[in-house]
Amino acid sequence: MNRVTCTRPFFKKILKCLWPLLLVAGFAVSSFAAEQQGPLKVGMELAYPPFEMTDTTGKPAGVSVDLAKAMGISLGREIKIENMSFDGLIPALKTGKIDIILSSMTATAERAQSIDFSEPYLQTGLCLLVRKDSAVQTIADLDRAGMTIAVKKGTTGHNYASKELKKTKVLVLDKEAAALLEVVQGKADAFIYDQMSTYSNWKRNQETTRAILKPFQQEAWAIGLRKDNIALKEEINRFLKDYRAKGGFEQLGDTWLLEQKQEFKRLGYPFFL
Amino acid sequence: MEDNEAPSLISRLLAFALVLLLLSALFFFSFSQLQYGWNWSAVWQYRQKFLHGWMTTLLISVAALGLSLLISVFFALARRSRLLPLRYLAMLYIEGVRGTPLLVQILVFFYVVADAFGINNRYVVGILTLAFFAGAYLSEIIRAGIESIGESQIESARAIGLSPLQTYRFVILPQVVRRILPPLAGQFASLVKDSSLLSIIAVSEFTLNAQEVNAFTFSSLESYLPLAVGYLLLTLPISLFSRHLEQKFRYAT
Repeated sequence: MNRVTCTRPFFKKILKCLWPLLLVAGFAVSSFAAEQQGPLKVGMELAYPPFEMTDTTGKPAGVSVDLAKAMGISLGREIKIENMSFDGLIPALKTGKIDIILSSMTATAERAQSIDFSEPYLQTGLCLLVRKDSAVQTIADLDRAGMTIAVKKGTTGHNYASKELKKTKVLVLDKEAAALLEVVQGKADAFIYDQMSTYSNWKRNQETTRAILKPFQQEAWAIGLRKDNIALKEEINRFLKDYRAKGGFEQLGDTWLLEQKQEFKRLGYPFFL
Repeated sequence: MEDNEAPSLISRLLAFALVLLLLSALFFFSFSQLQYGWNWSAVWQYRQKFLHGWMTTLLISVAALGLSLLISVFFALARRSRLLPLRYLAMLYIEGVRGTPLLVQILVFFYVVADAFGINNRYVVGILTLAFFAGAYLSEIIRAGIESIGESQIESARAIGLSPLQTYRFVILPQVVRRILPPLAGQFASLVKDSSLLSIIAVSEFTLNAQEVNAFTFSSLESYLPLAVGYLLLTLPISLFSRHLEQKFRYAT
């Protein structure tokens, strides 16, 4: 029985019925415009402000969206942003529903087994958000029986916790907000997430939480591509290099993350954009 | 409905095999058309996770099922009670629970209500929420069953001097049980599947574990197909047991 809580399968059903139609339409379009490449379908989960989010009118916005647009101009292709859940991005890429992933995705060895990555465009690290009165200072303090850690499903934090922290109880949550609540309410001892989000989460909950921003694992974000898509990979790498040389990333940081940028400078951590 | 000429065992088996064959052919064809790099070995490494999640779902479902039955009987009777506050309480409960998404109920109960009362065990809160959720649907099924018993029967019962309690025990209950068994079984199967929503408060149940495996291995179909089989293993016994009970209560009609 599908209730209001679960509308996705319904859409899938509709999609399934439309499938033959889409196929016909697809053939028509592809034969009609064989030379034009069509829009570049960019997959992202619009639930990670200020990188991927929607503005007040519901349109995609954020660092990654601006980056995608700049890329579109540079490659001479129209950009189409496909919003989907984070753990659905790689399957969507592999089955050709999207062309690239630009969703604050860390280029990990595990992911590199099934997809390809561009050059990294951002360096960040995993760090901790703990309760204000917590005694935890480093990640080692958490690797003990009786400790509970909140992570967001499918993130590198999730991966780290399930592989490295054998003695700790790991709470796997679907939403960042829920993971944050676990720490705020003292149900979890820490939330493992990247520096940027940890900083913003702490900023919004200064009475109850404390951020330990020193990263215990460095990671790099990159654009995900299908393994056979070498031409696109080269194009994108060239674009990223150009964009950095032209100061595009500096500008993105000033537009979206000015406060964080200054704060990280003050704390002496390298800023990553 | 009583079959005068029941079909023979052979023709029943043949018909069943035919339907099974057709369905398998349909799925076999669909899967053979799929362009997909199967990677079962990656998922096989996580079999312990699947088993753990399945057991959790089983335990949660059993607990919620029993509890929801108690809750629903209480509210079905409360809905018919002569005490007005009790009747309105039941009405508000049923409409409130049936009219709002389970997702919201779980979030609100765990992060707001349970937190305020200092209940921090997410499994307990999960089972309670699920039981109250299913209880609202069940209590309406039970009420419909009770009200389907004709007024004349209840009057007859009174006429032969049965107390209200005796009327429920000897006249209403046996008939109601038989009538509501099929929708009851459906609702229970629904409850088992709805338990997957508890994943949003990090209850490590079957669906969450499958999703985690998917997140680690990027093998969606290989993670989700075992999920379908696992849920079927939980819901089929409910259907079979209800079928069995229906046979047992046949005398009543």
